[in-house]
Amino acid sequence: MRWNRAKIWVLISLVIAFPACYQVSGYRTVGPIGPVSPIRFVNPGDIVLPEGYLIEAVARGLTCPTGVAFDDSGEIYITEAGYSIGEMSAAPRLLHVSGTGEVTEVASGAENGPWTGVIFHNGFFYVAEGGQLGGGRILRIDRNGVVTPLIDELPSRGDYHTNGPVAGPDGYIYFTIGTYTNSGIVGEDNYKSGWLGKFPELHDIPCQDVVLAGENYTTENFLAPGARGEVETGAFSPFGVRTTKRQAVDGRIPCSGSVLRIGPDGGKAELVAWGFRNPFGMAFSPHGQLFVTENQFEMRGSRPVFGAGDLLWEIEPGRWYGWPDFHGTNPVDVGERYRPPGKGTPRSLLAEYPSRLPPRPAAIFAVHSSTAGFDFSRNPDFGHVGQAFVAAFGNTPTAGKVLAPVGYKIFRVNVQTGVTHDFAVNRGKTNGPASWLSTGGLERPLAARFDPSGAALYVVDFGVLKYGRLGAVPQHGSGVLWRITRKPVLQ
Amino acid sequence: MKPNLTLLTLACILVFQFGCGAARKSEPISGSLKIESQEASLGEELFMRHCNQCHPGGEAGLAPSLNDKPAPGFAIKFQVRNGIGAMPVFSENQVSGGELDAIVSYLVFLRDHK
Ligand code: HEC
Repeated sequence: MRWNRAKIWVLISLVIAFPACYQVSGYRTVGPIGPVSPIRFVNPGDIVLPEGYLIEAVARGLTCPTGVAFDDSGEIYITEAGYSIGEMSAAPRLLHVSGTGEVTEVASGAENGPWTGVIFHNGFFYVAEGGQLGGGRILRIDRNGVVTPLIDELPSRGDYHTNGPVAGPDGYIYFTIGTYTNSGIVGEDNYKSGWLGKFPELHDIPCQDVVLAGENYTTENFLAPGARGEVETGAFSPFGVRTTKRQAVDGRIPCSGSVLRIGPDGGKAELVAWGFRNPFGMAFSPHGQLFVTENQFEMRGSRPVFGAGDLLWEIEPGRWYGWPDFHGTNPVDVGERYRPPGKGTPRSLLAEYPSRLPPRPAAIFAVHSSTAGFDFSRNPDFGHVGQAFVAAFGNTPTAGKVLAPVGYKIFRVNVQTGVTHDFAVNRGKTNGPASWLSTGGLERPLAARFDPSGAALYVVDFGVLKYGRLGAVPQHGSGVLWRITRKPVLQ
Repeated sequence: MKPNLTLLTLACILVFQFGCGAARKSEPISGSLKIESQEASLGEELFMRHCNQCHPGGEAGLAPSLNDKPAPGFAIKFQVRNGIGAMPVFSENQVSGGELDAIVSYLVFLRDHK
């Protein structure tokens, strides 16, 4: 089986484009237990929460669940990403989850997944379609499952996808688009992951005009195997296309690494903010302020970057947030801070920066923890009002090495101080995904959202990913929807 | 007297080799950390900004754990200023002397948290 036959939608929606586990040999999956999922043992008792909080499994046997939403009567719905890897496939789906955890299909998609998230807004579902095959779309789906695309051909056929959506207090539908590449240069990593062979013309698109530094990276010519010889590739350019000093590249919308919005009936995409790598999670704070999680640089490709923790940003409309030349407020080309061991310091790709450099992030998470969907607490019964609860999918092998597993948990974040605390973690001597710890706890948390009352936090757990020849293969039926509540406090 | 860098480095590597107690002490596992000084509470914020991404919550991640090692303050400061191994160097411009003191006092609370 060749790499380019692997259409890996799923994982790709996150930092997960190029899978292999951080410790492939040490990766164990749990054997057949229970009738629902042959490969996923579920036991809330294996998850530890602060005193007074409870966790339970609401639905299990899900295949690559990505998002959760609630309609106006509080009914629960989830999206499943869908995937197609070699001979295996599953369609992207929108499902209703009953009080007893049974699912029924509301709508399904074709081969343009992954479906990365869902909201319910003014009587309709809005779903972000990743767009691996034909470009990203935002879909409006009515209660009968009739799908109407509101915008299509979003540039997200590369490493990352069209994500979201969320509804703003202004009535707009907000969504994000991740970049094609890790750090601005199309290279071998994109060939291995499959998309470069299929779409050799693709490259990152800036949202506003940029002036390039003219840095080029030399690689083998992967697109002409056998034809020996090297090619040079510059920023915001197709593979094998050189750039020159002070070369201008026109910005356009829709664009890579951006937060965009459209009206509830569609229309042209408007720029909210840009200069992100893979902005994945979005939520409005109780004060109506938009926050976004961003999966940061990895140690792969022509321009690998070391030690860049994932970020939480408070979004200021119109602002540039630093990709491909900054990690938070730090330029990646200064000193040794971002130099991968044994390699060169990443060089700056832009000759000029927008007038305002990136602000300080609201919080910085563990390197490679893949922080994803999140929500703000608004109910004193749950506690920590105004703080963000963030799902961390966990590290993936191609992102870069770590000494110990990172992520696989829920963080609680004070967005004023940037202080993060673990909130829900797996029991055990060490951190890690449940299948690796051989427990029934959290596997790969991808989204966290409060129900309309704010009293329950739902956690979407993507399920088990196995790493092998085909890259990351999701294990059918291993996804779980968890619910966290707080025991009533006795007066 | 000029300190002997090689000796100091060796000494630091040695003190960091001691591991004692479980390295998992985050809020769900060990209860919330009671920080009883303003300096340490500032240190917590600075740790989150500068250190947490590689030493998440003081546990191991990209880098080794810090919450289970009885290294004295000077050794932590030496590591921060000299970046032994794969750790980056933090200059006075990035983390001032006072800020580094605060980070160390936070790390002491974290280490003593059971
Ligand atoms: C970019 C990642 C990174 C950041 C940020 C970082 N460290 Fe480190 N740190 C490391 C690595 C990697 C090591 C292991 C060094 C080695 O032995 O190769 C380390 C080692 C250490 C050690 C020695 C512990 C041991 O067991 O070897 C201490 C103490 C330490 N760091 C403190 C800090 C403090 C305090 C900060 C914040 C001011 C910080 N680090 C920020 C990566 C980082």
